[in-house]
Amino acid sequence: MSILEVQHIEKHFGATQVLTDISFSLEKGQALSIIGSSGSGKTTLLRCLNFLEKPNRGTIAVNGEVLFDAADPATQIEGEIRKKRLHFGLVFQNFNLFPQYTALQNVTLARELLAKERGGETREAIQEAGRALLAQMGLADRADHYPHQLSGGQQQRVAIARALALQPDILCFDEPTSALDPELTGEVLRVIRSLAEKRTTMIIVTHEMAFARDVADQVIFMDGGVIVEQGDPRQVIDHPREERTRRFLAHYAEK
Amino acid sequence: MTVFATVIGALNVGFLQTLKLFAVTLLGAIPLGLVISFGSMSRFSPLRYLTKLVVWVIRGTPLMLQLIIMFYIPGYFLPGGSPWPGGESGRFLASSIAFIINYSCYFSEIYRGGIQGIPVGQQEAGQVLGMTKRQIFFKVTLLQMIKRIIPPMSNEIITLVKDTSIARIIALQELIWAGYAFLKGSHGYSGLIWPLFFTGIYYLIFNGVLTLFFGWVERKLDYFR
Repeated sequence: MSILEVQHIEKHFGATQVLTDISFSLEKGQALSIIGSSGSGKTTLLRCLNFLEKPNRGTIAVNGEVLFDAADPATQIEGEIRKKRLHFGLVFQNFNLFPQYTALQNVTLARELLAKERGGETREAIQEAGRALLAQMGLADRADHYPHQLSGGQQQRVAIARALALQPDILCFDEPTSALDPELTGEVLRVIRSLAEKRTTMIIVTHEMAFARDVADQVIFMDGGVIVEQGDPRQVIDHPREERTRRFLAHYAEK
Repeated sequence: MTVFATVIGALNVGFLQTLKLFAVTLLGAIPLGLVISFGSMSRFSPLRYLTKLVVWVIRGTPLMLQLIIMFYIPGYFLPGGSPWPGGESGRFLASSIAFIINYSCYFSEIYRGGIQGIPVGQQEAGQVLGMTKRQIFFKVTLLQMIKRIIPPMSNEIITLVKDTSIARIIALQELIWAGYAFLKGSHGYSGLIWPLFFTGIYYLIFNGVLTLFFGWVERKLDYFR
């Protein structure tokens, strides 16, 4: 059984159709890269998975449980959506760290709030887990720094640790290196690569073609709100079948 | 007793009334302003328009007029006559309510600016981390909003210190009333001009203290950006 099953997702903003009949599935421990030009709907798709946008049609199922069905209002209750979000983690293009908290506090805040609500973990255990995550990101010595004291690459790594702290089933990245200076992208990509090696289930929206090819088990190319081509990364990126994919990749080859 | 001691004693009494009105207004208007700002940002449009209408009327008319209406007009309509207790306590109560309503409308707009100025990504980051709206407001948004609104709020609060003198229009015995009394005749003195000037020193010193306080708060919140 696939860990994620997305079927016939459609989304429009007013008269603008942004996503049309998006279906794909993802296996546990696999990494999926979504590539495509700006405005192709990649980010909207991630936002739908994280319930930041509500699809107009379609279903989203995790581990066989239908979390969202556009045709069934019972799956769209506000209080429930909050819990369902925890199946997914999202790393934003612009990090969106909380500026008034240290790196460690950013990582532990949500988990501490959840523990307070549900009982279970002690504050010490959460702190310890938070420090371990920061260490895994190579930021052990930055735990007590505030976001503005960190470089963009360090901030993004804190954001990844923050998303991992809630142990999501599927970790989503929305162009995680697009807001970074070119010399800082490497450190973030290395972290994501190490997560892939640990078989973290991930969806990565990215413009880094070489990275997508190396890290992903599956690639989706989107254009104009539809999935144009999907499959093995070497096939899609090195030997695309579709003309639109070829044209898109040619732009990258020129750069 | 010397003239000076008499005047200072009377001015202190007036200043105490000023200080009371100032404190009560802040205590009421700071939370009420937040409620009004939520109303003005509501997704329920009738509530939003109603709130904006109220804010427009209150900000668009003089506080002095609002005070006069608050204190004198209910007595003409209510069967039992004026709802305010007699004497200074009634004048203080009416002033407090008029000031709280007036200032909460100004505060609400400052809050709205502070909240809407926070990038939407902050809220979304909280959402994807499974936080409730309440948690996002109190744990993420609130402190960032406070940091943003300190300069305009300190402006408004310093204005409030001086605006309390407007309550004199319904004969609240605040600081300027106390100083002016020595010109008209009070405590056996009349024609004294200097007590009136002296009230200015009270305002200056009090606002000096407030300025230092807000500077301190700003420095306290300097640890993040």
